[in-house]
Amino acid sequence: MLKLRRWHVLRTVLALMFSALCIGLPAGHDVGATTVAAAAAVARQAPVNPLAQSMAEFKKRVDAYLQLRKAVTDKYPEVKETGNPAKISEREKNLGKGIALARPHAKAGDVFGPVSHQLLKIVEDDWNSRSAADRKALLSELPPGIQLKVNQAYPTNIPLATVPPKLLAQLPMIPEELEYRLINRRLLLRDRDANLIVDVLVGTEPKRAE
Amino acid sequence: MRVKHLLLVSVLSVGVSTLCAQQAPTAKPVTRAPAASQAPASRAQAPAPRAGQAAPAKPALDISPPREQDSVRFGILGDTGTGDRRQFEVGAQMTKALQIFPFEFVIMLGDNIYGSERPQDFVKKFEQPYEGILSQKIPFYASLGNHDDPTQRYYKPFNMNGERFYTFKKGDARFFALDSNYMDQPQLKWIEEQLSRSNDRWKIAFFHHPLYSSGARHGSEVDLRTRLEPLFVKYGVDIVFAGHEHFYERVVPQKGIYYFTQGGSAKLREGNIRVNSALTAKGFDTDNVFMVAELGKESMQFQVVSRTGRRVDSGSLPLMPEPKASDDKSRSQ
Repeated sequence: MLKLRRWHVLRTVLALMFSALCIGLPAGHDVGATTVAAAAAVARQAPVNPLAQSMAEFKKRVDAYLQLRKAVTDKYPEVKETGNPAKISEREKNLGKGIALARPHAKAGDVFGPVSHQLLKIVEDDWNSRSAADRKALLSELPPGIQLKVNQAYPTNIPLATVPPKLLAQLPMIPEELEYRLINRRLLLRDRDANLIVDVLVGTEPKRAE
Repeated sequence: MRVKHLLLVSVLSVGVSTLCAQQAPTAKPVTRAPAASQAPASRAQAPAPRAGQAAPAKPALDISPPREQDSVRFGILGDTGTGDRRQFEVGAQMTKALQIFPFEFVIMLGDNIYGSERPQDFVKKFEQPYEGILSQKIPFYASLGNHDDPTQRYYKPFNMNGERFYTFKKGDARFFALDSNYMDQPQLKWIEEQLSRSNDRWKIAFFHHPLYSSGARHGSEVDLRTRLEPLFVKYGVDIVFAGHEHFYERVVPQKGIYYFTQGGSAKLREGNIRVNSALTAKGFDTDNVFMVAELGKESMQFQVVSRTGRRVDSGSLPLMPEPKASDDKSRSQ
């Protein structure tokens, strides 16, 4: 009888140890409750790709911007093709003002957020991969010393600087409403129809001459 | 003996003078190895004067009528939107050209409106300079340059259907207007899809930044070329028109594709074509120009006319054979 009881205890202890091993928790827990708690713990501790996490956060922020934008565009619906350019510029101005008003405290880095580090690296690597002539061509497109601030209109007296296709291919995809622009090596996010600077990539101050 | 000596000296000095005259540096235009055969002598001008008659005044506009009956005829303007005198003068010449070479539409190679884009700018920098053409209901098809706000795509007279990049068909030809200022993945995907679908005799791409250029200021857009050229070669694009450089250049055909840079319809970067560039088949950088072309059954005829009405380039370019699906290099030259 004693032998049988010892065997039963041993079996239970072995089963508990096995379960504990499987879920990576110390022995002595209630097995049923432990399984659920342990699964959650495992999920919490699972290694996360930091780039994917940053990208997901960036996407979330872009989506939030689009949601805010939609509230404004509902008031100023898309212009169908028109021969009256006043209608186009009026909508552009209204959109820009409306969006800026809806995010009065927006500051540089708000949308790029945690992906900024990766973007800075992408921009820097792209720059370093270019020939001297290529760099010169990129810089010569715009006058030096342009100051661009979030929630301001992109200045209409300067070109919409070309974004090199190779660089563009490396940047995260963004919806059609937004576009990247590279201003003297500084990346910014522009609202295409509102002509609004949505975000400016903060980080190392770009050097103009190299 | 003395006479013989004098004769010899005279002959020698004439020879030396001739040699010197041949070697003396000539002023631009840059002209090299023309790939295009010259246009026929048929000109829309008065016949040559008979003996004894005074020569007529130099024609104000040197342009020939179209050669084929059912060809697709169009005008090409680039980097236009300044609203200054030069733009108006080119516009006036192009309007005159319509009488001789009745083009059906005009393509614009970007930088359609420089600087501010207020409603009055659209009038001053587009509607007024081309009033003579617009009044004849001739449509313009624009592409975006680096000075253009993408909202121009909503401006009806630019016929962009609210899109940054779009396509349209005229007769046997399909035109692809691209936004080279922002060549993102969706656009690249779109181009490939559209090109692969097209069975048209002529495939013409137009956009702002030149894939090949001898410009000292900008030069070839190599980055853009890396993305677009393989698609153009694969799907048999025949001709590419670009602007951005403020001059005219016909490039030696590259991988079976004809390239034109025509960014001098209002702005001018005088003397900017690099003199010894191997890319140049013909260059002109001393005045503003417009261009007209006709797409025939087997060839494209083109004429480039300066602000003063002088023809600065013309020729006939044969239609290249379609690429074989298995061999992209078949179009390479």
